[in-house]
Amino acid sequence: MRQQNTSDTNYISARRSFLKKLGAAVGTATVASALPTTARTAVSKQKVQYGMVIDTRRCIGCHACTIACKAEYDVPLGSNRSWVEYVEKGDYPNVSRNYLPRLCNHCSTPNCVSVCPTGATYRREEDGIVAVDPEICIGCKYCIQACPYDARFSNPVTGVADKCDFCVHRVSEGLAPACVETCIGGARIFGDLNDSGSEISRMMATNPVSVLRREQGTQPNVFYIAADHSDERNRGTNQYVRVTTHRKYEERR
Amino acid sequence: MTNELNWGIPVIAYLFLAGVGAGALTVSSSVLLRGGGGKFGGGHFDVARYGAYLAPIPVIIGCGLLVFELGSFEAGHWFKWLNMYKVINLSPMSIGTWLLTMFIAVSLVYAYTFWSRDAGPGDRHDTLRRAAAWIGVPLGIGVAIYTGVLLGAMPSRPFWNSPILALLFLLSSLSTGVAAIMLARSVLYKKKLDTASENHYRESGYILTASDVLLIGLEMTVIFLFLMFAHLTVGDVKHAVSVILGGDMATMFWLWVVLIGLLIPALVEFFFIIPRLLKHREFEVPRGMELIMPVAVLVGGFMLRYVVVVVGQVTGPVGI
Repeated sequence: MRQQNTSDTNYISARRSFLKKLGAAVGTATVASALPTTARTAVSKQKVQYGMVIDTRRCIGCHACTIACKAEYDVPLGSNRSWVEYVEKGDYPNVSRNYLPRLCNHCSTPNCVSVCPTGATYRREEDGIVAVDPEICIGCKYCIQACPYDARFSNPVTGVADKCDFCVHRVSEGLAPACVETCIGGARIFGDLNDSGSEISRMMATNPVSVLRREQGTQPNVFYIAADHSDERNRGTNQYVRVTTHRKYEERR
Repeated sequence: MTNELNWGIPVIAYLFLAGVGAGALTVSSSVLLRGGGGKFGGGHFDVARYGAYLAPIPVIIGCGLLVFELGSFEAGHWFKWLNMYKVINLSPMSIGTWLLTMFIAVSLVYAYTFWSRDAGPGDRHDTLRRAAAWIGVPLGIGVAIYTGVLLGAMPSRPFWNSPILALLFLLSSLSTGVAAIMLARSVLYKKKLDTASENHYRESGYILTASDVLLIGLEMTVIFLFLMFAHLTVGDVKHAVSVILGGDMATMFWLWVVLIGLLIPALVEFFFIIPRLLKHREFEVPRGMELIMPVAVLVGGFMLRYVVVVVGQVTGPVGI
């Protein structure tokens, strides 16, 4: 009996220590599961995160943003930092044409930055803008392959990778990017996503927004309201879809 | 296929040439270290020698092509590519640059140790040669794998974004490296005076051919797995691989890569190694075959890079 008791005590203490370990493990798991939140807090500690909301309901497809961008940067013929796609779909009489203004998505985890061999492409710590340093870039075109939005091109004049940089020279002077400034419908809203009082934050909070190619995991900072995500290459739909890219590349890449 | 290719023939040629060079160095170093009847190199010393001479040349040419293809070089900034050497980061291209630089240095040292006419096992360069070979094996494998990792690093390119691509490029590199050595030794073949060296020549021919069959067999297995898993999946990858399964590049892939580059050389080489393998007869290959088979393997290796690089760029994520 005494023997039995001892073994019972042993058993209980063993169980206690197991429970303790289990508790510790659960605790660790809780901490681990809390990690993404911690990481998010760390990101939001960054003072400014510039982003853009494009309200496609207000876009009339006039290409003024494309032209303003071309003029601002003297972008070579055949290339675009910003462009507008037309998405036509449906069969008469049930048809629609929607506009999809495009630009660099200034992702929070950009693949173009992680593949850059020279460090020429970088994400600015102070405001989250993804930019290219033309002094360092050697034009290997790796980032052009890596961008899931085809936002980059090789500039034939300078020989380096080029793309939208949210008009960093204007933004740092307190001005809005050229495309935002010129947009006649007010479809482009630019601002600080970390400032809850900004117009962009209010738009984000009060509208359903989506990003392009979310599954690529790049966490874009360009958001769309009422974007038509239809694509010619979407299989499994019999609906007529035609996308006009208005670029040198006739198809989305 | 209205897309413009950002990476064209120079990059395709580089991937092929770097593969051949890396394969040649790996094979040559392994043969040297393995010996095979005698001291380091032993009876297969000439195989190691051909590999040693072959290794640096294609890699240097390939790297040259890469530099010519850079946007900065085309725009007239001829030395801007040296910016590569100012940083090391986790970009596959950055790691690859340093690997290739080490590769070129080590392979040149290795080739130098074979330079003198009477080079042989145990001569004055023996220690240096063996040291270079020990570094050469991992370095060659590293360069061969890196060419696949370079393409595989991008989720935006579903055709490339597969862990098996690097293995495919490694096997293809080794196989084309063996083919390059086989081609060199049959082109430079001179009738030997004594039967002993003639037998040595035959024996190393058998070893090279048998390894090539094995490598091509593994390569076909990897291609089969690649296609099978791509066929069984949905979405981006299925859409991308359909281009070679039955799309625009199907002929290019099935005829040039699979038939001419893999199946025919493997069957013909297998036919010639059977008597030696199973019945211990002499290994005899007609001279013509000895020249044509390696050429077919090399053409297949180039076409593999061509198909992979082009299809990877003309396909992308489906949907927006």
